[in-house]
Amino acid sequence: MSRWSVFLLVVTLLLGAGTEGWANLQWSQDEIRAIGAHGPWPPPATVEPSNRVSGDRAAVALGERLFNDTRLSGDGTMSCASCHQVDHGWSDGRARARGRAELDRRTPSLWNVGQSHWFGWDGAADSLWAQSLRPIVDPLEMASDSGRVAALLRGDPTLGCFYRRAFGTAPGSDDEALLVDAAKALAAFQETLVSPRTPFDEFRDALVAGDRAAAARYPDAAQRGLKIFIGAGNCNACHFGPRFTNGEFGDVGIPFFVRPGEVDSGRLGGLAKLMASPYNRLGAYNDDKSGASSLRTRHVQRLHANFGEFRVPGLRQLRDAGPYMHNGHLPTLRDVVRHYSEVSPDRLHSDGVPLVRPLGLSADDQADLVAFLRSLAADPPPRQSPPTECRAG
Amino acid sequence: MPAAADCPLDLGRGTGWVVFSERAIVAFRPEPLRIEVGQPFSLLLNVCTRRNNPAELVAVDAQMPEHRHGMNYRPTIVSAGEGRFRAEGLVFHMPGRWELDIDVRAGSETERLSHEIIVK
Repeated sequence: MSRWSVFLLVVTLLLGAGTEGWANLQWSQDEIRAIGAHGPWPPPATVEPSNRVSGDRAAVALGERLFNDTRLSGDGTMSCASCHQVDHGWSDGRARARGRAELDRRTPSLWNVGQSHWFGWDGAADSLWAQSLRPIVDPLEMASDSGRVAALLRGDPTLGCFYRRAFGTAPGSDDEALLVDAAKALAAFQETLVSPRTPFDEFRDALVAGDRAAAARYPDAAQRGLKIFIGAGNCNACHFGPRFTNGEFGDVGIPFFVRPGEVDSGRLGGLAKLMASPYNRLGAYNDDKSGASSLRTRHVQRLHANFGEFRVPGLRQLRDAGPYMHNGHLPTLRDVVRHYSEVSPDRLHSDGVPLVRPLGLSADDQADLVAFLRSLAADPPPRQSPPTECRAG
Repeated sequence: MPAAADCPLDLGRGTGWVVFSERAIVAFRPEPLRIEVGQPFSLLLNVCTRRNNPAELVAVDAQMPEHRHGMNYRPTIVSAGEGRFRAEGLVFHMPGRWELDIDVRAGSETERLSHEIIVK
């Protein structure tokens, strides 16, 4: 071996120290650890303690029927599925949701919603069942009431049968309690909406397991985008963990004026609604009497900085889920990446090192980041038809 | 006056941190032992004077100095007596460097002891 060859070998070894050569990119141990934090997927199924029918098959069946039942709305024309459409990733493809009128925010996707701890773009609900109840009685959305929902459960033999199997008793005389039970069945159904494994998950598992051949199948562009995501972009500061969200709130520079002279205060208003709600985890309808599941609600604090903050969305199944952001302000994933590349620091008012800052990405970098985000989606398997008959057990 | 053994630095389970000043010593550990990003945790604390007498825990808070933001949650403190405390309701909602601030009253003086924790 010539002196020059030895020199090249030494340089190569030194440059590679502390890194693993996967596919065409080098990944350091810190990077592998950061990537590993975005899995495994899917997570193990859990039961939500504030909902006594969480995970119950009869409740899931009841919830799915109610989810698609227009009789839940005040005039019998809208169901939950009117806005949360399976063919639009459990959203509706619109920039702003449409109930009785056009609303100020986008219909959030329901993928993986059962793993959240705050619900709605402003986190005004602290459980999936409380969030499920809100649009039913909101005059701008389904415009219904507890009496109508209770009458439906009492009067429809199939719904009544599923109710008995799920809750162990026939629908009772307390309208308000039946409204909450309907919401808990809706939540039990939505907890089953777990997104499929994706090309990213295959790469992540291969990287963690040391399977070079499998890791190399992940496209180079997605790998380069991932490197930006966990590196210069610092996107995983907020888009953390297997769902790619820390479940909290942030102001990322999206305009919060909803019309001239009127703003959407986001999390600040959401916390006020949360604390005023009789359906929060501190109230009588929480089935977890230990208090353990209400810990976040007991300790959350309302801060001035919450003004204009909105929930950090998970990034799984984003590929076909536009428009994006809390108000549908950005039509495509390319627009989202361009936003983070060019966002105005003046708009964000950050004192310290800003979490959101203009990344100044090249066109190629932006395309790579989009390729990575698209790799967080896969076609879900066809949904099985819900049971149509109920046999009292 | 309580004996020195009333204010032990050992919180059990063979792990934890100790911070101290001229007047106070605080031994503490998280529960669960591993702090996960976004997951609530508690702190078990023994708060002592340098003469090994129990002292008072006034407040516990945390912030990310680089980003100049704190937690989204306000911990509550429960005393178990003799300088033993439990702070509940902490959540580090981002990975990175957090500064834990522990306000302690020993005698008539209140002071802040700090400790850095990096969560990944």
